[in-house]
Amino acid sequence: MFTIRSRDLPDVADVLVVGAGASGSVAVKELAEKGFSVVCLEQGDWTPPSEFAGDKPEWELVKQKQWHPNPNVRDHPADYPIDTTESDVNPLMFSGVGGSTILYAAHWCRFLPSDFKVKTVDGIADDWPFDYAELAPYYSRMDREIGTSGLGGNTAYPDGEEFPLPPLPIGKIGRKAAEGMDKLGWHWWPGANSIPSREYRHRPSCLRYGTCLTGCPAGAKASTDITHWPAALEAGAHLVTGARVREITVDHKGLASGATYVDREGTEHHQKAAVVIVASNGVGTPRLLQLSTSSLHPDGLGNSSGLVGRNLMMHPYGAVSGTYEDNLESWLGPAGHAIESMQFYETDASRGFVRGAKWNVMPSGGPLGMRSGYGGRPVDESWGENFHRNVKANLGRSFEWGIIAEDLPDEANRVVLDPTLTDADGIAAPKLIYKSSENTTKLIDFHVDRAREAHEAAGAISTSETRLMRDCGWHLLGTARMGNDPATSVVDQWGRSHDVPNLYVIDGSVFVTSSGVNPTATIMAIALRSVEHLIGDRSNQLTSAVS
Amino acid sequence: MLTDAERERFAQIADVLIPSAEGMPSASQADVDTVWIDVALTHRPDLDELFRSALVVGDGLPGAEIVELLNAEHIPAFEALGTLTAGAYFLNPEIRVRIGYPGQVPTIPRNDVDSYSDLLENVVERGPVYRDV
Ligand SMILES: Cc1cc2nc3c(=O)[nH]c(=O)nc-3n(C[C@H](O)[C@H](O)[C@H](O)COP(=O)(O)OP(=O)(O)OC[C@H]3O[C@@H](n4cnc5c(N)ncnc54)[C@H](O)[C@@H]3O)c2cc1C
Ligand code: SF4
Repeated sequence: MFTIRSRDLPDVADVLVVGAGASGSVAVKELAEKGFSVVCLEQGDWTPPSEFAGDKPEWELVKQKQWHPNPNVRDHPADYPIDTTESDVNPLMFSGVGGSTILYAAHWCRFLPSDFKVKTVDGIADDWPFDYAELAPYYSRMDREIGTSGLGGNTAYPDGEEFPLPPLPIGKIGRKAAEGMDKLGWHWWPGANSIPSREYRHRPSCLRYGTCLTGCPAGAKASTDITHWPAALEAGAHLVTGARVREITVDHKGLASGATYVDREGTEHHQKAAVVIVASNGVGTPRLLQLSTSSLHPDGLGNSSGLVGRNLMMHPYGAVSGTYEDNLESWLGPAGHAIESMQFYETDASRGFVRGAKWNVMPSGGPLGMRSGYGGRPVDESWGENFHRNVKANLGRSFEWGIIAEDLPDEANRVVLDPTLTDADGIAAPKLIYKSSENTTKLIDFHVDRAREAHEAAGAISTSETRLMRDCGWHLLGTARMGNDPATSVVDQWGRSHDVPNLYVIDGSVFVTSSGVNPTATIMAIALRSVEHLIGDRSNQLTSAVS
Repeated sequence: MLTDAERERFAQIADVLIPSAEGMPSASQADVDTVWIDVALTHRPDLDELFRSALVVGDGLPGAEIVELLNAEHIPAFEALGTLTAGAYFLNPEIRVRIGYPGQVPTIPRNDVDSYSDLLENVVERGPVYRDV
C-alpha cells in the first residue's frame, strides 16, 4: 500500500517538506520546477479517484465511516488520533497526498481587504504583516493553477477578480435562495469553486455528483494530488508516502538539519536537508514542532515566543436548513457552494459583536444523509409511517445556508501534546483545548436568525437550525502565527521561523486572524508567496552545518 | 453472514422501523432482511457487532416493544441498526426509483447565468458591500 516512490533520495535535500497537502504541494512543485532537490515526507498515501464512493450506491453508508472527515471516526492507518475531550469542535482533515483537499468542499474564497487589518478597523486581534493588494497577484496565479470556476464582478470584493472558468450552475437551490435574498435586498453571488466547469488542463469537467466532501470520483475537483503533484514529480521532486515524521532534527547551532520519520513497517529513517518546511496543517504542525525538543529548543522548535500551538482558530459553523414545497433536486452537485452571501460579513458595532461570516448554500445529499442522530428521540419521529413521510417531504426539497463564523485568536485555545494518547507509531498525539467565545456565540445567534429569515423570504415551509456543529473543524488555523515581532509571533511574513532561520511554516498555522471565509485559497496563495521569497532570497539563506 | 434466527429477528424489527405505508413497501417487502442488509454490512463492517447486539435485545417481545427498548436503553446499538436498516432500504434500486432519487449520476454542468442574471443585476445596483480599508 504505502510505497516509497523515490528510492534514489538525495543524501542531503536542498529542501525537505513535511506534508503533501494544500500548502506542501505548492512548495514542492515550485521548488522542484526551479531545479531544487526536494524531498516531501507524507504520512498518508495516494487516493486514486476510483477509490472514492461518490459514484457508487453505498456512498451514503461509507461516508459516515471510511470517508468521514474526522480522523477519530475514520481511524485510517495513516491518521493520528486527536484528543478532543476539551474542545467544543472536532478537527477535520485528511492524511494523504493532497492532504485535506482530498475531502474539501472546494469553496474557493479570497479574504476581504479588512481581513488583513482587523486591529486597525475593529481594534481587536492583530493586523497581518501584508495586505490584500499584496496577496492579490498570488490569488490570481493560484486561481489559474487550480482552475477556479466563478463569475467576476462580485460586489463583496474589490474590482479585478477574474476567473479562468465560467461559474458552475447554481441550480434550483441557488435560484431559490437567491429569490429570498433578492426580496430582502441582501447580497448574494454565485459561489466560486475550485472545481472546473469544463475541461481544464487535462482535468475533466465536474459531473455534479455532489460528493465533493468525500472525494471526487470524476477526478475533477482541484485536490493537489491532481493539480500539483504530477508536475512536481515530473520536475524531479521526491515523495515518500507512509512516512510519519516524528521529529525535526537540529544541529549543534540549533539550525534544522532534517527530519526523522517512521515508515509503515515501523522502521525509522533520517532525511537530511538544508532547509525544512513544515506543511502539516494547523494541528499537525504545532504537534511536530512541540515534538521536536532539544537542549537548544527545550520547549519545542521555533517556540521561544511560547505561541506554537496557541491561538487555534477553527471557524465554528452554524447552519439553517430550509425545506421547500418544490423538488429542488438538492442532491445535485457541486458541493461546492451554489451561492454565497457576504451581506453580514463586515463588523457592524450595533449588532453587539465584532466581525462576521460568509454564508453559503450547499446541496443536502441523498435520503440517508438527512437521517442522523435519531437515537433517544421518540421512535415515531423518524420511524414507522414518518420514515416515508420525512423522505417525501425532505428529499430534494431542502438545502442549507451554512455560516462560517470568524473566531478570533485566543491564546487559551490551543494544540498541546497529549500526555498519554499516542499514534500507531507510539508518537504523542495532539490534544485540542478549544472553547467557542462569547463573541462567536452572539455572532452565530445573529447570523442564524438572519439565515432563517432568508429561507422564509425564499418560501421555505419549515426550517431547522444548528448553532454550533461539533464536526465542523474544517479550517485549522493560527497555531504558528506570522508577524514582525518575535515575541508575539512564531514566523515572519515569509513563514520563516524567528528562532530557526532555515525552518519555515507555510500551512494554515501561520494565519494571524481567521477571516470568515474558507481559507485554502489564502493558504495556497501565502505558500506560493513564501516559497518564492525563499527561492529569491536563497543567497542569504543560512543552512545547517550537517548539510 | 447473519444466522437464520438473527435474520428473522431483524425482519421483525425492520418492519416496525420501515412499515408498508404511504404507498411505499416495508423493509421486508423491499428485501432488506434477505438481500440488502448483507450488502450494507459489507460496506460497514464496523457496525456489525453493534448491529448483532441489537438483535438479542427483548427476546420474545413484539417488534414495536423491542424498538422502544432499544431506543431507550441501547442507543449506540439502535443507531447502528437504524443506519443499516435505512441504508439497506435505500440501496434497493427500486426504492430509489420510487422516492425519485436517481443517486449520484453524472450530469454535465450547464451554465445557468441567464436564469438568474435578472436577480444579480439588483445586487450590482446596490453596490459594494465590503469595507474599503
Ligand atoms: C471536509 C473538509 C471540507 C473542507 N472544505 C473546504 C472548502 O470548501 N474550502 C476551503 O477553502 N477549505 C476547505 N477545507 C479546508 C482545507 O482542506 C484545508 O484548509 C487545507 O487542506 C489545509 O492545507 P494545509 O496545507 O494547511 O494542510 P493539509 O491539506 O491538511 O495537509 C497536511 C498534510 O500533512 C500531513 N502530515 C501531518 N503530520 C505529518 C507528519 N507528522 N508526518 C508526515 N506527514 C504529516 C498530513 O497527512 C496531510 O496530508 C476543508 C477541509 C475538510 C476536512
Ligand atoms: S460535484 Fe463535481 S467536483 Fe464534486 S465530486 Fe462531483 S464531479 Fe467531483
